[in-house]
Amino acid sequence: MSRVIGIDLGTTNSCVAVVENGQVTVVPNSGGYKTTPSMFAITQDGKRLVGHLAKRQAITNARGTVTASKRLIGRRFDSDEVAKSIELYPYEIVRGPNDDARVVIGGKTFTAPELSATVLREMRRVAEEYLGEPVKEAVITVPAYFNDAQRQCTKDAGKIAGLEVLRIVNEPTAAAIAYGMSRPGKDEKVAVYDLGGGTFDISILELSDGVIEVLATAGDTFLGGEDFDRRIVTHLLAWFRDQEGIDLRGDAMAMQRLKDAAEKAKCDLSSRETVEVNLPFIASDASGPRHLSCQLTREQLEQLVHDIVSQTLKTVEQCMLDANVKTKDIDQVILVGGQTRTPLVQQAVADHFGKRPHKGVNPDEVVAVGAALQAESLVSDDQNLLLLDVTPLSLGIATFGGHFAKLIERNTTVPARKGHIFTTTRDNQTAVKIRVLQGESDLAVDNDLLGEFVLNGIRQARKGEPEVEVSFDIDANGIVSVSARDLATGKEQSITVNATGTLTDDEIQRIIRDQELYEVALKE
Amino acid sequence: MRVGETLDNAHAQVLALAPGVVATALALDPAAGFLLSRVDGCTPWKTLRQIGALPAHEVDRLLESWLRDGVLIAAAPSTAASARAAKSVASEQQPASEKPEAAKPVAEAALPPPQPILAKPRPLTLPPIDPSIDLDVELQREILDFAAGLGRRYHEILGVTADADARVVKKAYFALSKRLHPDRYFRRNTGAFGAVIEVCFKRLLEAYELLSDPTTRKEVQSSEFVSQFAVGDCATAASARASSIDARRRLRERVSAMASHTRMHRERRRKAKTFFEHGMSSFASSRWLEAAGAVRLAIAFDPENSAYREEFPNVQRKAHEERAKHLVKQGEGALEMRDYAAALDQFEEALHFRPGDAELAHRAAKLALQVSNDLKRAKEFAAQAVEIEPGSAAYRNTLAGIYAAAGLTANAKREYDAALRIDPNDKDAKLGLRGLR
Repeated sequence: MSRVIGIDLGTTNSCVAVVENGQVTVVPNSGGYKTTPSMFAITQDGKRLVGHLAKRQAITNARGTVTASKRLIGRRFDSDEVAKSIELYPYEIVRGPNDDARVVIGGKTFTAPELSATVLREMRRVAEEYLGEPVKEAVITVPAYFNDAQRQCTKDAGKIAGLEVLRIVNEPTAAAIAYGMSRPGKDEKVAVYDLGGGTFDISILELSDGVIEVLATAGDTFLGGEDFDRRIVTHLLAWFRDQEGIDLRGDAMAMQRLKDAAEKAKCDLSSRETVEVNLPFIASDASGPRHLSCQLTREQLEQLVHDIVSQTLKTVEQCMLDANVKTKDIDQVILVGGQTRTPLVQQAVADHFGKRPHKGVNPDEVVAVGAALQAESLVSDDQNLLLLDVTPLSLGIATFGGHFAKLIERNTTVPARKGHIFTTTRDNQTAVKIRVLQGESDLAVDNDLLGEFVLNGIRQARKGEPEVEVSFDIDANGIVSVSARDLATGKEQSITVNATGTLTDDEIQRIIRDQELYEVALKE
Repeated sequence: MRVGETLDNAHAQVLALAPGVVATALALDPAAGFLLSRVDGCTPWKTLRQIGALPAHEVDRLLESWLRDGVLIAAAPSTAASARAAKSVASEQQPASEKPEAAKPVAEAALPPPQPILAKPRPLTLPPIDPSIDLDVELQREILDFAAGLGRRYHEILGVTADADARVVKKAYFALSKRLHPDRYFRRNTGAFGAVIEVCFKRLLEAYELLSDPTTRKEVQSSEFVSQFAVGDCATAASARASSIDARRRLRERVSAMASHTRMHRERRRKAKTFFEHGMSSFASSRWLEAAGAVRLAIAFDPENSAYREEFPNVQRKAHEERAKHLVKQGEGALEMRDYAAALDQFEEALHFRPGDAELAHRAAKLALQVSNDLKRAKEFAAQAVEIEPGSAAYRNTLAGIYAAAGLTANAKREYDAALRIDPNDKDAKLGLRGLR
């Protein structure tokens, strides 16, 4: 049997791990790095680059390099998130035929799953090189707050990359798995604070003798380390304008250089108090070339980003409430994601929980390690690990007056079954429409529609008399089926909600074929 | 065939402990005692045949003898059960009535009342041991054992004592999860056992969820105690076990539903009450329209309150009268201003609220002719007037005149004839008939 790999598909960096003889290995890429930038580029001469190679040329090819495509996955073009991405990134984002967001680089249009697939394929290649055998299956992690469409698109991306995705696991949960497996026999409640490049997640979990129960999870899919970088860039832009009177915002190359410098300065400030940002020849005008040379202190950085950090703590509080635990109940706090290296973040988390965060895990690799362990526990007979995962968002149906009746609350352990009785709103009404929704708003319109169906043949009666039982079943793979039954007549209708991404099956198949053509062309 | 039917009817029967009977005072062997403990006033006979530790014929014999001896009585079937029976009868008798209804508008399901909540587990048929699948026979047996006990009380499902603390409950849940979570058997050929494992886990999860939350746990346990046995004045500790699977299921669902809906409903009920009180005070001071609006809101917020519903028709009738009076007055005002079109509109609307006013309909018919020569509209009003007061020759004459104007002579003649039958000397009718020729 071939091996199953665990992939942490990050907004900015990705990582792959595999279990061999009971030992987890984080697989280094050919450059020796254990993480690979989630970047894809097409060069001026039409060459396709992924990972470090793509990152290296990003400065000179800002419009041909895609970063953070994860922010577009499973999103509608009209969503706020896509609007924000259009504002933030230099590459062109267009509306796709399914109202999805697509990216145009090198004269070609790419769907978001395709872009993620380029990264996944690279991670698969890295693993195959290391293992010396083909890899066909993977467990992939996503932010805890990803909705159904985003999860499905990630699965589609796996399919395009030639991987069967056995399970989508939440990033903080994967981190807890990795942590839990390193401490067998302990009963603990842990909080996983995951601040990555693009997203923030918090999960509260309980570990006991190999069973990992997710108590609650919450997050913000648009808050991460890149927001730190952006604050620094804004600061540098303002500083340069004050000093030299030149606005660099319109200059894509200067912006990319600033972004790089900001990220580096941010990382350096985690270990040093002061850094010097040096960007020679950043601009030029009639009087000759201009250089940016500016001191940045840790204190300055902390002033720039402290509100982002306090925002994460609000989400933490929400999650603690959902989990019904108090800070004193938390035995361990685990930090995940590169951004948690920032001393301000560590300090804020320590203050919030009243204890120093756990130092034993590598925040960049722990998620991939957990994914690999979950993959192993699924396919092997090994009985050491069981993950009791939860649904990230509430499920229910639309009711009279545009309300949303939740049947399965978020953070419910799966598999689960929940039912509720509904009735009619008009006299002699013989049919009800069941609209299956996902989300947290009490208003139906604010939630995502997963599917709908009509139950006919309800016995004619005064309104409020018929009893229609609606039940939700959610299996361990997160697949939801909904049935409605008239208790009087026994008539029943049901649907299995097929999570739909932004691509149809045909489109996925076509992309896979195109890609094969492209690979053949490469070899010739 | 007939015998079979009556037998089935008997077995659909629901039994209850007769009032005053002290179950614990009866001399019964454990199997019979267990059976009696399951008689709770809502479990049907045929279910009793399946849950007892006795063969079906033995269950029948015991139940029949207890019925004879007056230990048990036939219980009134629960309202839900009878409603259900009525519903199925109706649908059997009028199967054709479903068809035209399909075209009716489809409304979204309304939020239900908080109490009747059910989420019945699918009937689970246990598969036989199958040595060919990827589960060893011992494990299959373990799963079957667990599945057979899914109807037990929650703490029994978890295998802990009734007073076990949260930590013990969790430990048990985790340990059982390790055996029963579907992920344990990922990609293994579990045959028919796959579905059983999933049902087992869902039930296990439910037991854990209800027992680990102090509020639901309290409700589950205290209400289990208030079983049908307690009604029969013998609330002993032993009788706490008497609650049946069905009763407990209803309870559980009520508990979980209440947990999520209670707060919302309380808030809604409070609002409804405020509206209703406001409505009643408006009614008392003859502000009919205001009263109707407020009571309507009260019902919208608390559709279950029968007091509001009972009061509503009175309030609404008054409000309608008020509204019609007001509209007629406005219509007459418009007439004085010679704004005939506006007057017609006012009269037409007034007719909605006072549909039994033949004279109003008659006036509207005449106005419709006068204003726009709208024969169709005029005909409808006139026909309405005739329908309300078939004995009025004047209304029939108006209707006949409209028919005549529309060229429908046969209809016109019919109406004139009718008018003459009412009053043989009616000049208008005679004149009209002559005009037709």
